[in-house]
Amino acid sequence: MSAVLEVRDLAVRMGAQTILHGISLDVPAGGIVTVLGSNGVGKTTLMRALSGVYRATSGTIRLLGEDITALPSHAIVRRGLAQAPEGRQIFGAMTVAENLRLGAIGEADQALLERILTLFPILRERYRQRAGSLSGGEQQMLCVGRAMMARPKLLLMDEPSLGLAPKLVKQIFDLVATIRADGTPVLLVEQNARAALRVADHAYVMDGGRIVLEGPARELAEDERVKAAYLGGHAHA
Amino acid sequence: MFDRFDIFFVQQLVNGFSVGLVYALVAIGFTLIFGVLNVVNFAHGEIYMIGAYAGLMALIFLAPPWVALLLIVLAAGIVAGVLLERAAFKPFRRFRDEASLKSKAMRESTLLSSLAVSIIVREATEKIFGADMRPIPRAYANALQEPILIGELAVASGQLVILGAAIVMFLTLQFILFRTQIGLSIRAVAANPLGAQYVGVNVDRTVIATFAIGSGMGAVAGILIGLYQGTIFPAMGFAPGVKAFVAMVMGGLNSIPGAVICAIFLGVSEAVATEFFAQGWADLVAYLFLVLTLIFFPTGLFGAGRERV
Ligand SMILES: Nc1ncnc2c1ncn2[C@@H]1O[C@H](COP(=O)(O)OP(=O)(O)O)[C@@H](O)[C@H]1O
Ligand SMILES: [Mg+2]
Repeated sequence: MSAVLEVRDLAVRMGAQTILHGISLDVPAGGIVTVLGSNGVGKTTLMRALSGVYRATSGTIRLLGEDITALPSHAIVRRGLAQAPEGRQIFGAMTVAENLRLGAIGEADQALLERILTLFPILRERYRQRAGSLSGGEQQMLCVGRAMMARPKLLLMDEPSLGLAPKLVKQIFDLVATIRADGTPVLLVEQNARAALRVADHAYVMDGGRIVLEGPARELAEDERVKAAYLGGHAHA
Repeated sequence: MFDRFDIFFVQQLVNGFSVGLVYALVAIGFTLIFGVLNVVNFAHGEIYMIGAYAGLMALIFLAPPWVALLLIVLAAGIVAGVLLERAAFKPFRRFRDEASLKSKAMRESTLLSSLAVSIIVREATEKIFGADMRPIPRAYANALQEPILIGELAVASGQLVILGAAIVMFLTLQFILFRTQIGLSIRAVAANPLGAQYVGVNVDRTVIATFAIGSGMGAVAGILIGLYQGTIFPAMGFAPGVKAFVAMVMGGLNSIPGAVICAIFLGVSEAVATEFFAQGWADLVAYLFLVLTLIFFPTGLFGAGRERV
């Protein structure tokens, strides 16, 4: 399987501080890949660098074989890499409709919009309301729906389950599976390691700005180090 | 229907309303640019002055019809605004990390760079055209002083031109902001610059468009007031710049309708103040409003919870 995303030795420095020290990872076509790690290890920095929001200090990022390392964020979205970012970053003062419209590249695709509104009935219900008036879970749906409007060839999701009630968390992970079934590979950053490992094919574990462990998700779920550090040692893993 | 005093008073209200409309045109550009970049553009008053001089040059050398004159000034304002953005604002936007985006020093540098551009432009204009007032060619100035009687009320033809031009520009702006792709981008960047990057908005192009629109409107305001008052001069942008700034603050910093309403209110209040105080004191009205707003309505009269821009 050819890789949709190939990251090689990616480093990111912010001022005097180096936050990512040479990250390498792949997302294969049709796959779900997850990046795990505790707070502050650099997961969001990695996601921002992939979207062109932060500049890489060194290393390369390839999307479908094309080097996108130096491209500005809007050009990266246009090439098919969309993200549902950490903190959602929706446009709170604008309507749900406008948020979705902004996600599209050029003319909004009506069939796709219809598919998204079917996937997230709440967005249809609240279509003309201010996005800021939605609940946290609804805003997360909007955030993912907005990214899907770009018809991405790769979808990045940064902690989509953060701060959501358990029922919504399950819905989000079901959604990840649905998006892949629709043909879009997903790179998922999560702190909810158990759920992420269940849905993903492959997993990377980050610590201190480095990848410290990687492997098939099923194997990592059984790995003693992963269990101890990220699966909280609960008996019902 | 009115006795003499009342007629005079109503007349002042009409005059104040016209001036207020011009403040509003300046305030819109201010507010748009503040909304998108979150910094005050100190050179906005100079754009207004450039509009007036571009219009004067066009009148002297081309003597175009009215609509063409306004379009020429609009174009001059757009070009000046884009150049201003490239010179004073763009250099500070290559810092993308959060630390510099949030840094005070970065915002202050941008403030100072636009202030520097404004001083250079004003001084250069003085060098080229002289610091004195320059009259608008008589034929044009007279055409805008034609009294038009509405009942007992005399309205200058120039006031109707200001009203017409302002309405056309307000409507065009609303159309751009709410019915076009670039308007959607402008509102997105104003609402959430980081979010805008994630949805693929070209932030750089959006900022340029914002400067083009705001500066075009500011320049047209400059020629309108120049024609209406009959003279233009290099420092003419200062007072309307201050008043537009006050209107923006009163309106809540990021509300265009708020800024427009407050600008008109300010123009009318100044006109009423000249009824009771000497002309020089009327200029203090703006500062008084600013202080009162900051003390009693720190988020502006229309500010809280509204959409930026
Ligand atoms: N723009 C920035 N400037 C400076 N330091 C940053 C910036 N963004 C993140 N960091 C730092 O980088 C580290 C990793 O942060 P982040 O990528 O958000 O981690 P995670 O998403 O894994 O919780 C943290 O120490 C954070 O303080
Ligand atoms: Mg994070």
